Amino acid sequence: MEAASVKLGRGRKKRGKTFGSEERRLAALLLTPAMAVIALVAAYPIGYAIWLSFNEYSVRTPGLSRWAGFKNYTEAFGSSEFWEAVKNTFIFTGLSVTLELAIGLGMAIAMHEAFKGRGLLRTVVLVPWAVLTVVSAITWRTLFEPNLGLAPQILDAIGIGGDVVWLGQEGYAMAVMILADVWKTAPFMALLLLAGLQVIPDDVYDAAKVDGATTWQRFRRITIPLLMPAILVALIFRTLDALRIFDLPYVLTGGSNGTTTLSLIAHQELTTNRLIGYGSALSVLTFIIVMAVSFIYIRTVGGNIRSLAEEG
Amino acid sequence: MMKTPRLVAALVATAMLAIAGCGDDDDGGGAPEAEKATQAKASGNVTWCIGKDTTGAFGTVIDAFNKANPDANVKLLELPEDAGEQRRLQVQRLEAKSPECDVLGTDVIWTAEYAAQGWLLDVSDWISKNGDKFIPSTVDTTEYEGKNWAIPFNSNAGFIYYRTDEVDKAPETWEDLYKEAQSGNGVVYQGFRYEGLTVNFLELVYSAGGSVLSEDGKEATADSQEVKDALTFMADGIKDGAAPKAVTTYKEEESRRAFESGNATFMRNWPYAYALGKDSKIADNFDIATFPGFAGKEGAGVLGGYNLAISAYSKNPEGSLAFAEFATDPKQQALMATEASLPPTVTETYDDPAVKKAMPFAEELRTAIDQAQPRPVSPVYPQISEAIYNNVYAALQGDMSADEAASKMNEEIQKALETF
Repeated sequence: MEAASVKLGRGRKKRGKTFGSEERRLAALLLTPAMAVIALVAAYPIGYAIWLSFNEYSVRTPGLSRWAGFKNYTEAFGSSEFWEAVKNTFIFTGLSVTLELAIGLGMAIAMHEAFKGRGLLRTVVLVPWAVLTVVSAITWRTLFEPNLGLAPQILDAIGIGGDVVWLGQEGYAMAVMILADVWKTAPFMALLLLAGLQVIPDDVYDAAKVDGATTWQRFRRITIPLLMPAILVALIFRTLDALRIFDLPYVLTGGSNGTTTLSLIAHQELTTNRLIGYGSALSVLTFIIVMAVSFIYIRTVGGNIRSLAEEG
Repeated sequence: MMKTPRLVAALVATAMLAIAGCGDDDDGGGAPEAEKATQAKASGNVTWCIGKDTTGAFGTVIDAFNKANPDANVKLLELPEDAGEQRRLQVQRLEAKSPECDVLGTDVIWTAEYAAQGWLLDVSDWISKNGDKFIPSTVDTTEYEGKNWAIPFNSNAGFIYYRTDEVDKAPETWEDLYKEAQSGNGVVYQGFRYEGLTVNFLELVYSAGGSVLSEDGKEATADSQEVKDALTFMADGIKDGAAPKAVTTYKEEESRRAFESGNATFMRNWPYAYALGKDSKIADNFDIATFPGFAGKEGAGVLGGYNLAISAYSKNPEGSLAFAEFATDPKQQALMATEASLPPTVTETYDDPAVKKAMPFAEELRTAIDQAQPRPVSPVYPQISEAIYNNVYAALQGDMSADEAASKMNEEIQKALETF
């Protein structure tokens, strides 16, 4: 709190030179409702979770709680389960987002071309994305059911992995999870990229054609650079979403065979084991990781977006 | 960008103030002496919070009660079908001290936790007066620290399903069953990493005469020969091909589908699979049996089912008790069995001709429930079960030897018991 008030004091002095106190008061007044709403819906729950994570709440004695300091955090850092979840979460995020970008870009370019039934295709392609993740996860689970599922039968017929229990073996289980996620969210990626493609003026392409640029050169030198802002926005969206993945491992594997994730262990500790303090610490750590990743994104590529926008 | 520190500071300050305000209310805890529900009086409003009424049987019981007691009005608050979700929604209300639910339909494994939190009324007096009518093992699931916290509503116990066209009779021991499975078409069970695996594993441990928790619930006892034997037996079963590797992805429904499609000679499952199996293509080719013996001892199952508990925050404990009493009388129990296939907790209901007709296996079921034992009774049961299924799963997958899995299980159960 002390640090904060020091900062406030310094801010006041600096701002005082630029604005009159009248305007400052008005600005504060006008900002108050928005600030109150933000405090209510965002800051309060986050702050409350942080508070909970520094406490322990008894599961044996009603209403008993005690200050735990950093105990919940040291416990998390000391548990192999936590590090395994971190590892899996990042493997899942890296692979699924990369695949989604590649496939989504292909879909976007295809949908951008003028052809008959384009409107229908654009609608239909979004269907997987509209399906609830839990529902699609159950579908995938059934598809990969040993012996009876469609996927092992087809794969067996073409001679792949006849002996594999897809959801019951390390590596394979993660592959199914990534497949299910890519199937669901590549269309969403495509939609975001399609919006980016549509704002690139045709004149640029026409001019390049006149100058004798090949299709590949036009893609490399015009489409990609001008699409970059849309790609970055799509990447940020998808990465942050993927880091919080819960439904897929919950339904597909229950977190077994190398598919446990941060959100999954936080849910287990919070709602199943009712370890409010420890579970909150895991949630806060997930939050910090997501924050850190978005910070890196904005720091490294956020500038890019701005400079690209200015150039454009 | 320069505005951010002030914004953050202001937000943090707001949040901190709000938290400080909240923190004060939480203090002054201490365990309240549990109140009792002894008087049953059929009047007033009662809300019954239990899992989804998929068959309409809960509604029928409520209608019958309301008709017989014009002064009372029971209504149903349906929770989701999934047990984990039911618990989450009940816990949410109980933590908020909400009087919304009067009678709670609780899975038998939640009793200790709810009782320890002071969320339930003590119904020991009612049980000591009326407890004789129930199958004794079902009453055991309502006990915690020497008192009864709920009334047994419906029970459950597993069976062995076997193909009559592949084997002559049900094997006498688990060892024989696995041998026949190995030379036949295999045995399937619930080997997914979840609560069901805990049940499947404990059935073997209990049959061998072992345990994972001491009687008083204070000491982990999983680092024992019985536990190691059960682990070795299950792991070898997969290694030797008595059970397909696929069982590590099976819950109840997957096992049932594998069995019904002719992919297994034996199946461990709950009674619900019987009626469905009689509708499948193997309808005339299977039968059921109670659990075989294991390690030279008699077989034992693990109890499932639901109890009726009265919320400590109920505004109408008398009405709630009256309703729970009504829902567990033999007539209503018979209705539950015939309409909803819920195994009764009341002994005499199994002799009811209508029940015998709806459940041709009624006699075996009563025996199975009678022989079954509750899962470890502890307020930290979810953590104990997690310690069990995680390590059993590791052993099944061959990631850990039986000895390692047993000692890690023991260590984790002990740690769970030491939870604050």
